[in-house]
Amino acid sequence: MKPYTKLIAAAIIASASSLTPALAGEVLDQIMSEGMLTVATDANWAPQSFLNDDNEMDGFDVDVAKEIASRMSVDIEFVTPDWSIITAGNWAGRWDISVGSMTPTTARAEVLSFPGVYYFTPTSFAVHEESPIQDKLELNGARICATTASTYELYLQQDLEIDAVGTPPFEYDVVPGEISSMKDTSTCLNDVRLGAGVRVDGVIGSLPALLAAKDAGFPIRIVGTPAFYEPLSVAIDKGDAELDAKIAEIVAAMHADGTLTEMSIKWYGIDYSAGM
Amino acid sequence: MYADTVIGDKLIRKPRFLLGLLAVAFIAFFTFNMADTIIGEFLRPVIGEPKESGLFGRSAAALVLAILFVGNLFVISLFPIKVQIGIVWLQLLLLFMAFFYSFDLKFSFIQSKIGFMITQGLFTTLYISAVSIMIASVIAIVGAVAKLSNNGVAFAIASFYTSLFRGLPLLMQVFLIYMGLPQIGYVIDAVPAGIIALSLCYGAYMTEIFRAGIQSIPRGQWEASRSQGFKFGLTMRRIILPQAVPLIIPPTGNQFIAMLKDSSLVSVIGVWELMFLARTLGQKEFRHMEMLITAALIYWCLTMVLEVIQSRIEKHYRQKGAR
Repeated sequence: MKPYTKLIAAAIIASASSLTPALAGEVLDQIMSEGMLTVATDANWAPQSFLNDDNEMDGFDVDVAKEIASRMSVDIEFVTPDWSIITAGNWAGRWDISVGSMTPTTARAEVLSFPGVYYFTPTSFAVHEESPIQDKLELNGARICATTASTYELYLQQDLEIDAVGTPPFEYDVVPGEISSMKDTSTCLNDVRLGAGVRVDGVIGSLPALLAAKDAGFPIRIVGTPAFYEPLSVAIDKGDAELDAKIAEIVAAMHADGTLTEMSIKWYGIDYSAGM
Repeated sequence: MYADTVIGDKLIRKPRFLLGLLAVAFIAFFTFNMADTIIGEFLRPVIGEPKESGLFGRSAAALVLAILFVGNLFVISLFPIKVQIGIVWLQLLLLFMAFFYSFDLKFSFIQSKIGFMITQGLFTTLYISAVSIMIASVIAIVGAVAKLSNNGVAFAIASFYTSLFRGLPLLMQVFLIYMGLPQIGYVIDAVPAGIIALSLCYGAYMTEIFRAGIQSIPRGQWEASRSQGFKFGLTMRRIILPQAVPLIIPPTGNQFIAMLKDSSLVSVIGVWELMFLARTLGQKEFRHMEMLITAALIYWCLTMVLEVIQSRIEKHYRQKGAR
C-alpha cells in the first residue's frame, strides 16, 4: 500500500474501534494507568457540591469523590458539565464517574450503571413563609417549581421509578396543576421568595438543600412530611463490569467503616447514609 | 449626525413641544404612583403624610417630577453637543446604578469573588472569543469567495453551510457538537467544542457580510477596471476591496461584540467562563444577584472597549473617503 492509503486505513480502523462500547475493564485500566480519576459533578448543588470561598470544589459529594479516589490510590480532577449531559449517558470517556447525588431511576439505568448507593435524602415541599398553605396536600393543583430532568420533576409528573434495593415505597399524593421546570433548585427558590403565588406556589427539592436555603435567609417554610426518600448513587457509564465491582466494593467499605456517616454528619448534621 | 446641510430650529425651544412633553411626563409619573417614594418625603410640608395624601399628593409628586424632568432636558440643551452627550450618559448611568443599588447587594461578597471572576472567568471568555473570531474570519473569507465564484460545487457547499449554521440556534449547535461528535468517534473537550460551535456559527454570518459588501460595489467599477486591462486579482485588490472594506467593518464589529456575549452559551457544557462563574459562585451563600450583576458589568465594560475600537476604525476609513 502507498503511505497515504495506509494512513487512511489506519484512521478508519481507529475511528471504528472507538465506536465499539467500552471493553471490560477498559475504563478502570485507564484510570489506574493515568493515575487520575475524572469526576463529573454539578457546581450548583450546595451543600453537595459547590465552589467554596477559595473557589475550589467542595461539599459532601466532593468529599465522597475524593475518598473514592484516595482508596483507588489515584489523583482526582473535577469537571462540571450540565446536569442533563451527565444523566444522558454515553460519556465517551470524557469523565470516569459521576459522584453527584444521582438517583438510580429505571430510565437512567438504561444508559448508566449505578454501582453504589452512598446515602438517602428526603425530598420535601416548601412554600413562601407567608403562604396560606400549611400542608403538602394543599399543593394539589398548585403551580410547583422543580429542577428540569430531576427526580423531583419526575415525581410531579408521576413518572418516578427508582431502581435500587432498599428504597422505601412512596405515593403520589401531590398532583400539581402546573409544573414550572427550572434549571436548578436555586432558580426555583428565587421564584418562591418573590411571594406566595407570584410566580409559583411552592417548590419541591431535597430537604437538605431547602434547609440550607432557609438558613441563608430565604423566606420559605417546609410543608408536610417528605414526599419520598431517594437513594443517591455513584454512576458510571455502561459496560465496564470491573470498574463497577471496584466502586461497589469501595462504597460498601465506606458504609461499613463509618466514613459516610462521618461525612454526612459533617455536611448535614444528620446521618443520611443509612437510609431510614 | 446626518450629512444633511439644512438644520432646523431646536425642538426643545418650542413652547408647544415643551408643554406636550410636560403632559406626557406628568401622565407617566402619575401612573406609577410617586407619592410614596422619596419624592413624597420631600413634599411632606405641602401634601402632609405621603401615604394619606391621595390623589392630590399623587398629582403633586407627578407634577414636580415632570417639571424636573423637562427642566433638566431644557438646561442640557443650552450646552454644546459634546457636553450634552456627557451629561446625559452620566445621568443614565446614575439611574442604572441606583437601580442596582436598590437590590441591597452585599459588596464585600462581590469584592471577595471578583478576582477569581476576572482571572478565571474573564480570561476564559476572552480567549474563547478571540480564537473563535479569528477562525470565523478565515471561514468567512473562504465562504464569501466560494459564494461569489461561478463554481457550482463551491457555491453549493458554501450556501449549504451558511444556510445550516444560520438556521440553527447557537445553543443547539453547542450541544450538537459536544454530544454529537463523540457518536462518530471524535471525543473533544468542552472548550474546543465551544470554539468550533462559535466559529462555525459566526463564520456563517460573516460570510454573508463579506459577500454582501463585495457585491454592493457597482458593476461599473468592475467594467471600468477590466476595460483598463486589469486582471481579476488586481481589480479585487486595488478597486473592489478598498471600497468594500469600509462597508464591511461596521457589521463585522457588531458580530465581534455579539460573539463576546454569545460565548456565554458555552457555559452549558461546563466551561468555567464568566457566565458559568456568575451562576455558580453565588450558589453557596445564595447571593446570585451579586454575581450576575458583577458579570453583567464586566461584559459591558468589555463591549465598550470594542465599541471604541470599532468607531476608531470606522473614522479612519471615513477620513480616507473624504474629499
